[in-house]
Amino acid sequence: MVKSFRLLCIFILASWPLICFGGVRHFTFLYEAPTSAPESLELETWATWKRMTGPDRSDAVDFRYELEYGVTDKLQLGVYLADWFYENQREHSGFAYSDSAIELIYNLTNPVDDPIGLSIYGESKAGDRLIELESKLIAQKNFGALILSYNATLEAVWEGRSLQEREGEFQQAFGASYELSPRLSAGIELLHEFVFSQWRDDKKIRNLFVGPNVSYRRGDWFVTVTALAQPTNTIDEPDFQVRTIFGIGL
Amino acid sequence: MKLKHLSIFAALVCIANLNSCQTISFAPPPLVTPELARAAGRQQVDLATLREGRSLFVSRCIECHTLPTASRFTESDWPCIVHEMGGRANLKPVERDAVLAYILAVHSQSR
Repeated sequence: MVKSFRLLCIFILASWPLICFGGVRHFTFLYEAPTSAPESLELETWATWKRMTGPDRSDAVDFRYELEYGVTDKLQLGVYLADWFYENQREHSGFAYSDSAIELIYNLTNPVDDPIGLSIYGESKAGDRLIELESKLIAQKNFGALILSYNATLEAVWEGRSLQEREGEFQQAFGASYELSPRLSAGIELLHEFVFSQWRDDKKIRNLFVGPNVSYRRGDWFVTVTALAQPTNTIDEPDFQVRTIFGIGL
Repeated sequence: MKLKHLSIFAALVCIANLNSCQTISFAPPPLVTPELARAAGRQQVDLATLREGRSLFVSRCIECHTLPTASRFTESDWPCIVHEMGGRANLKPVERDAVLAYILAVHSQSR
């Protein structure tokens, strides 16, 4: 019954037309300090392709459908209706539901007028044998046509049959985006991750991802694409990944 | 592996482009002063309206794009632009008028 319901959800969401603005994203792996306009509603469709090379070469595509609503001029609510993925490995391939989540972003200061624009972010995620809590500090500064953004993220994950597997992660991300024309921006994104398996730092897992991004906006929609490569050599992490976010105002 | 190298190369090109750009204006939009209000003389707007216009300009317009200078477009172009963009930013008519009043005042002052 549960399986049928999941299949039905996957079918509905997969066949949802990509037609669906509270704001434009200049980055795909970073968040920006400004929140959505009050009472604005936007649908975003995320797709992330990940390629792992090496002996266990595999491909995976993660999908996300997010509704963003501007509650006030400072507070934004986001609902991840369903995260699901397609995996193509040597042993098996197929689709599976991953999780659903809710996020809140509160803007503290303005990136144009104040010395630095700050927002705080909180997210709760629940899925199949998965609970995840994430908090983020979002810093941003606009220098004319240049946007600089920094995110510091702390993440706690409980997963497995009785949620006995635990993992923590601290991530810092830096992005720069330059507005080449009113419709087009291009820049760079960099992620630096510290992974704490079972809340310990024994394995000293450090991951670095870097790559360019481009964002195009027109009317009530936008599309932003980032391609990241991993200069570090962590086996369990993708060597190359591309994320696309398409957003449209409802 | 080729994709990995291509991605790192593209990132370095982006940094070089940003670094070579000489047109970045670091200054935020002008503050509302009595001089600015006088520059907006023809519009018959008060300081409070201009302040609200500036506040909305620097907070709501950046949800989608960076802030253009007032001189980027002509005085006759701005009403249409603000009307169109104001819809996307969910601005009420009175808020759009305030943003337009501020931009036109800055435009008049910069002439």
